Amino acid sequence: MDAFWIILTGSLVASSCGLLGCFLLLRKMTMVGDAISHAVLPGIAIAYLITDSRASFPMLLGAAIFGIITTMLIEFFSKLGKLQEDAAIGVSFTWLFSIGVILISFFAGQVDLDQECVLYGEIAYVPLQTIILDNGIDLGPEAVWMLGFNLLVVITVIVTGYKGLLVTSFDELLAASLGISTVFWHYLLMSLVSLTTVFSFESVGAIMVVAFLIGPPAIAYLLTDRLPRMLILSVLAGILSAIFGYFLAVGINGSIAGAMASVIGLQFILALFFGPKSGLNILKSNLAKNEKQKISA
Amino acid sequence: MKRFFIVLAIPFILLIIVGCEQEQSKNGKLYIVTTTGMIQDALKNIAQEKAEVIGLMGPGVDPHLYKPTPGDLSELRKADVVFYNGLHLEGKMGEVFEQLSRQKPVFAIADEIDKNSLQAPQDASQAYDPHIWFDVELWKQTVDYAGKSLAEADTTNAQYFMSNTKAYTNALDTLHRWVKQQIAQIPKKQRVLITAHDAFGYFGTAYQIEVKGLQGISTLSEFGLRDVSELVNFIVENNIKAVFVETSVSSKSLETVVSGCKEKGHDVKIGGTLYSDAMGEAGTAEGTYIGMVKSNVNTIVSSLK
Repeated sequence: MDAFWIILTGSLVASSCGLLGCFLLLRKMTMVGDAISHAVLPGIAIAYLITDSRASFPMLLGAAIFGIITTMLIEFFSKLGKLQEDAAIGVSFTWLFSIGVILISFFAGQVDLDQECVLYGEIAYVPLQTIILDNGIDLGPEAVWMLGFNLLVVITVIVTGYKGLLVTSFDELLAASLGISTVFWHYLLMSLVSLTTVFSFESVGAIMVVAFLIGPPAIAYLLTDRLPRMLILSVLAGILSAIFGYFLAVGINGSIAGAMASVIGLQFILALFFGPKSGLNILKSNLAKNEKQKISA
Repeated sequence: MKRFFIVLAIPFILLIIVGCEQEQSKNGKLYIVTTTGMIQDALKNIAQEKAEVIGLMGPGVDPHLYKPTPGDLSELRKADVVFYNGLHLEGKMGEVFEQLSRQKPVFAIADEIDKNSLQAPQDASQAYDPHIWFDVELWKQTVDYAGKSLAEADTTNAQYFMSNTKAYTNALDTLHRWVKQQIAQIPKKQRVLITAHDAFGYFGTAYQIEVKGLQGISTLSEFGLRDVSELVNFIVENNIKAVFVETSVSSKSLETVVSGCKEKGHDVKIGGTLYSDAMGEAGTAEGTYIGMVKSNVNTIVSSLK
């Protein structure tokens, strides 16, 4: 059962991140996941200072609030300062992270407090952290329930708000002329991203979330031009990485998160070289064209 | 579309194969899983040949930054009894152990220590320093608790475990006295232990040696510029002979301090490597708790005397 729960957890993270990642990729904002992983530090520090404990729930709450603040700051900087998205992301998260470092060294210098030891979970231990009811019934890992609920919310929002997300991701001017609020959809998407990343950090750690948010959408982008297909391929690539990553980790007895992220990288390289948009295929079709021209000449 | 479903089916077929894997059988011995090498060593001494004792964190591993593998999960599943340090030394892994305690006997050995003998920064009442093993007297209490817990978990060998515990705690008593004697040989003014991170708080209190660390307790926290210059001034003013690096922490920060002192015309040397959060390689003398403490004390005494 352990393998099943680990792969299921990985697949749930892969699906939520893979779906949201596609929209982030189209908005050139994929690094927002990495940014949030750093920017939650002040949230953790403040939650600790208020509650005087390092328990999971206050840490999660503080991190989630700062995840949303990060995305708001990014939007604010890029709109107000007409800054490129990547620059706005960079400025926001380094600033928040440094505030976190200062808070910790000033107020809690002697306490072992950082994301690594109070927030980031470990996917290897997901099967041990199950919900057991009073009558002894084991409902399976907490993380699976939490991430499953999260995925449900993500799917619901994408299905009901598909048109809005699609138009605002591709063409802001068109969206404005159709009377669709770009700001509303931006904040909706970004809130979903912050909640998904923070929940996933808590269950599986940062490296996997960042990898799943960027890798599978990038792979899908190399394979297709259509958004619905891209969403499905992205989820599929993510789930395959979760499965093969797990077996790779068992084979070498190494970190599961690391192995899953490596499999994503491998898939990306395969898609890059052998996908329909790849250099090799374009070269081939060019050669074929030349051949035809020669014959016709 | 057909191809799509075939691709989707692969994961489920693989899952079924995984589901069928059989659990490895044990050889009848009690199977004890521990986290740090220090705890593993203590339980090896208590259980001896009556149990197999596994340590998840090997030599040189920093427990704050430990990354588990799928193998660790199956060790924890296989375990009959689990021992860990507690006091947040293992970070978020502590919560995993708390959850695991619903299914099998799990003991946080630092739990038993009287909260009054634990050290905590003034402003943080709950955040105790987890590095209890450097005060041999305190460590003896945890060994005693581990022995009792093991005797409870396996009543058939209770007598055997208790007499082994007695023998081992006696050895620790001798060690405690020896360390006291050794440290007392250092002239009072020279008794300052400077290390990279604050792991030696209990050591300092127990053996009356002033301890200064460049970083906080976490090996991740950064040291500030003022920390460095204050430490440099302190070393120069008090004419300290040596500072110490640790096996599981980078020595870079302390090298900054050493060169800072040189600029001020005071020659401070790196007195040697101390074992702090992890022990030496298995099979060597430093691979046991007693050997590790002796090695640390010898290094400190020979450089500071």
